[in-house]
Amino acid sequence: MTGSGHSRFASQHDVELCGLAATGERRAFGELVRRHGSAVRGVLRRMGAQGSEADDVAQDAFLTAFERIAEFRGEGTFAGWVKKIAARLYLRRLQRDRRLGAMTAETVEDEAPHSDADAVIDLDGALKQLGAAERLCVSLCFGAGLSHAEAAEALNLPLGTVKSHVKRGLDKLRTRLAPDDGAALEGRRGNG
Amino acid sequence: MVEFERRLERLFAEAPELPDAGPFADRVERRLDAGWTARRWLIGAAGVVGGVIGASQLMVSNLFQRVETAGDSARLLSTSINHISAGTDWMAAISSGGAVVWAAAAMAVVMMGFVLTRVIGEI
Repeated sequence: MTGSGHSRFASQHDVELCGLAATGERRAFGELVRRHGSAVRGVLRRMGAQGSEADDVAQDAFLTAFERIAEFRGEGTFAGWVKKIAARLYLRRLQRDRRLGAMTAETVEDEAPHSDADAVIDLDGALKQLGAAERLCVSLCFGAGLSHAEAAEALNLPLGTVKSHVKRGLDKLRTRLAPDDGAALEGRRGNG
Repeated sequence: MVEFERRLERLFAEAPELPDAGPFADRVERRLDAGWTARRWLIGAAGVVGGVIGASQLMVSNLFQRVETAGDSARLLSTSINHISAGTDWMAAISSGGAVVWAAAAMAVVMMGFVLTRVIGEI
């Protein structure tokens, strides 16, 4: 499992490894997992998945990616492609467990997030301050790389609702992460 | 502003390497290996089942009787050919009649299993 097999692929580019994986070379795909596994798991955790659940979904996402590796044309990054797969799988799991509706239908707290400029606040900490729907939408658009329209479709929500969640989430994040910035954010991301 | 959004994208992209990144990749590889092993077994089993079904179909379709008839025909053909021209070694082999038909039937079963295996493999 480890050792010479992996070092053989360590110097190769992602696109080359994808090509090898497409021929059934599982060790080459293992190198891709080694490189990007943390990033994919990180996005899922930022979407709100707990550790073990994030790992399960990430594993499924990589297995799905291996099955569909021939579809990857190298137009974006491999990590970005798998992140999208993982995000959609996680949403599907939420839907199956009837958790998605509760998350996206939660009431929005209008209270202003408290700003603590003196404290060192990382992204993960800041995301935890968001409502579940805001966190999902922001993570989908900025972490998994989905457009507003794609996120709306994946969440089965109106486009306007997703844009609102993103905007509110960005406002709160900016207050936490960049409290010195002046103007309010415009939800300009995506093609929706 | 857009600048903040870019910064946010960078923050999202800068995912820290998790301490169990190696074991995680090993788990994924093990699942890949298990999937391929299961698939190989499935394909092999499907080939065997296909072969057995093919063979049983040949058995139940009055094959023995037809082989006898075909054997007689082969012998008759061989005799006729021998009358027309001097026999060669391979012509002599044909004179065994029934054995040739049995070999052809066996080849057909093997081919059927092979084709079925390939088809399932492609799926």
